[in-house]
Amino acid sequence: MSTQGFASAGDLPEELKQPLGSVLLALADNKRLLGMRYSEWILGAPTLEAGIACSAMAQDEWGHGRIVYAMLKGFGYDPAELEHEREGDAYHCSELLDQPAGSWPEVLALNLLLDTALSVQFEGMRTGRYEPMHYKAKKLLDEERFHLGHGRGWTARLAETEAGRGALTEAFRPAWESCLRWFGSPDGTIGDLLSEHGVVRGSPAELRSEWLVQVGPAVHAAGLGLVEPDGDRWSSTVEPDWTDWDGERRRVGTGGPDDATLAGVRGDKNRAMLLD
Amino acid sequence: MGRLSGQSLYEVFARQKREDRFEHIGTVTAPSADLARVYAWQIYDEEKWFEMTIAQRTAFESVNRDEIPFTLTAEERP
Repeated sequence: MSTQGFASAGDLPEELKQPLGSVLLALADNKRLLGMRYSEWILGAPTLEAGIACSAMAQDEWGHGRIVYAMLKGFGYDPAELEHEREGDAYHCSELLDQPAGSWPEVLALNLLLDTALSVQFEGMRTGRYEPMHYKAKKLLDEERFHLGHGRGWTARLAETEAGRGALTEAFRPAWESCLRWFGSPDGTIGDLLSEHGVVRGSPAELRSEWLVQVGPAVHAAGLGLVEPDGDRWSSTVEPDWTDWDGERRRVGTGGPDDATLAGVRGDKNRAMLLD
Repeated sequence: MGRLSGQSLYEVFARQKREDRFEHIGTVTAPSADLARVYAWQIYDEEKWFEMTIAQRTAFESVNRDEIPFTLTAEERP
């Protein structure tokens, strides 16, 4: 395998361009929707500080989404169309983001589990052969350190009580399976192809393993029964169900974000104010 | 969710450049140092800080007064 870098999307061979574009679209859509979900808890978080954290994380996620949408121009997409003119079933976002988080533990599941899964994918690209991602991923991952700290800190706090652990378990179980799947199915092709060509450092299985290292200690310490130490790595005690898995959209099910969410991400209220 | 552990006050210090001295820029209230670090970084984001550090208020020793520095709550008093 060549280790030479690709300085732009135009330098990518055709067989890698479409798969990388697909991964970038999934990252951008998940970032955009995750930002939306954080923003919905700015006023509902349990403390003022946690509300400010949601606000900061929402801004970060929208910024990250913007950066990646802009990169997609080189992959044959129209960023304006991607951001404003798609129906829900065209979004490549996790099914966890289709509706608002219904409880603070569900926000934490998005925060600790899904946000970290996205970061692990970005880390794989930061050191991969697609050079335009190197600096952008580094800056983005610097900000994500604090998202991970927030998710770990609040998970530990809620796990102090039996009721808190119960609520965390209920919220984390579906999110856990979803995030295990998010890296790609065992018989998937996109992630393995990009890994084989060094565009992403790490196959889906390796990225999943790295995600377990990132989130495993906090989830294990919280006593949620989803993960166990395994030498210097971590093993999931749960096998994900791959029924209805869509490898292109990286989610299960044919749906997508609901109408209220789409109106929010398109900025319909803002656009109604424009005088044109 | 049941009764959660108490929160502590953390003093926040930061400097904009390596050669600067640390300035006291404020406080945050958090249940753990992990969350205090997150809150401090996100709340005091008005500058592009080179370095930020936090210390629990109870860690400070008085130099010239009999009482503990700042104003500790009843639970924080030794």
